Amino acid sequence: MLDVSRVQKELVEIERDKNLSGVSIAICEDDLARMRGTITGPVGTPYEGGIFSVDIHLPSAYPFEPPKMQFITKVWHPNVSSQNGAICLDILKDQWSPALTLKTALLSLQALLSTPEPDDPQDAVVAQQYLRDYATFVGTARYWTETFAKRGSLGLKEKVAKLVEMGFSEDASKSALESCGGDENGALEKLCSG
Amino acid sequence: MNSDGGGASEEDRPRDDEILAFHHAIRAADAEKLEFVGDKEPLSVLAAEYEAGNPVFRAKVEKLGQTYVAIRRARGDGNCFFRSFMFSYLEHILETRDETEVKRIQKNIEQSKKALIELGYQEFTFEDFLSIFVEQLDSVLPGRESSVDIDQLVEKCRDRYISDYVVMFFRFVTSAEIRKRAEFFEPFILGLSNMNVQQFCKTSVEPMGEESDHVHITALSDALGVPVRVVYLDRSVGADGKNTDVNHHDFLPPDCPTVEMPPVVLLYRPGHYDILYTREVQNLAPVPRVEEPQDLPELKGLQEAKETPVKSIQDANSTQEAIAA
Repeated sequence: MLDVSRVQKELVEIERDKNLSGVSIAICEDDLARMRGTITGPVGTPYEGGIFSVDIHLPSAYPFEPPKMQFITKVWHPNVSSQNGAICLDILKDQWSPALTLKTALLSLQALLSTPEPDDPQDAVVAQQYLRDYATFVGTARYWTETFAKRGSLGLKEKVAKLVEMGFSEDASKSALESCGGDENGALEKLCSG
Repeated sequence: MNSDGGGASEEDRPRDDEILAFHHAIRAADAEKLEFVGDKEPLSVLAAEYEAGNPVFRAKVEKLGQTYVAIRRARGDGNCFFRSFMFSYLEHILETRDETEVKRIQKNIEQSKKALIELGYQEFTFEDFLSIFVEQLDSVLPGRESSVDIDQLVEKCRDRYISDYVVMFFRFVTSAEIRKRAEFFEPFILGLSNMNVQQFCKTSVEPMGEESDHVHITALSDALGVPVRVVYLDRSVGADGKNTDVNHHDFLPPDCPTVEMPPVVLLYRPGHYDILYTREVQNLAPVPRVEEPQDLPELKGLQEAKETPVKSIQDANSTQEAIAA
């Protein structure tokens, strides 16, 4: 059984300082086990300025088992699959502990973006490039950030504008979009129902 | 995990959920073999286990029988120290009905809670684990609504939810104690691994299934103020190459009054802990603390009766300690 009260406490905590921490979480379709996390790219890295979405699935034994996390936004990084966003990070496997939280896990992902571990790669091609041709790696990673991690945020502005045109306030539109992971239809539904 | 190949390596590498599923399969197979804590078995089962084995083990098992009479096995899932500690301590309270001790440990629990918060742990990450342990403490005292007997205690300690929650609480307490006294623990940790205190707690204390050794035991015993005896059953022999006395070590928390026999007695075989029972406890009804004999006056006779075996244990211990020293 998923420890619902624990998950709810975690969500409150994340929401409380999401502006400071640079990570946030939104629940998908009222299913507490399915969430979408958001990480801002760390400053001074090829990921700077990007906003990265992470699919989060909580197994029923959470917090005794790690959350399953996978990048939705395409990322060029030695420890993230360039194909499917799968992540290689010890705390999402055997080094997970119930002392950790969804927030600390997302912060660890953010830290992983800052300090790749090419010796324990998820994506061998990226890792090879990182080790043998660092300049090209940085260039590719930056290009991927520009292409895949920024369009979403531009799109968000347009989506907010659209909803505002329909007569909703800007703040409400923004938070509705955020809670639906940027899905316009979902946000509209939410705004209409609430 | 490194590979020079291109896209193929990603397919070869098991995905995280596959690795986890594999771990689960191994644990599930173990679970079928043994509960978190097994039944109390006579010590002769150990002798049977080593019947055709190493002669040093055989000699030691025989000597073990002079002081200990029974064993209760714990599942070997990396949490055996914590599960053994949990059961052994709760059973001790159940038998002694020692409310004073429960009040004492509750103060230590509060101290640990404070330490965790000061160290930056958020309360919601440990409060559920803490309250489950406090519930268990309450349930082993008599006259409560939730009071249990030994069979119910065994049942509870075999319940995954209860057992895992208490194990996790102990891991929090252990980690907090190590971090709080980092200077004290650092040299021991450096002796065990290449990690600093912070890393050690993160990778070897807080995750479930990480095995315990003397650092963990010292920290938990100190933090909760509970003396622990660990009896070592291994192939080591004395300096003369013949001495097969069984060594033990008593983990005594600071300010702890000297005890004849710690409430928690564990048998250590390389990589694993089980629970041991001394002659003293065997076949004896619950004995109240000496300062509260008015509760159960009819047990006075029994208390006197047990004095003889206790004496012999003391003798055995002092001999062992003399040899160990």
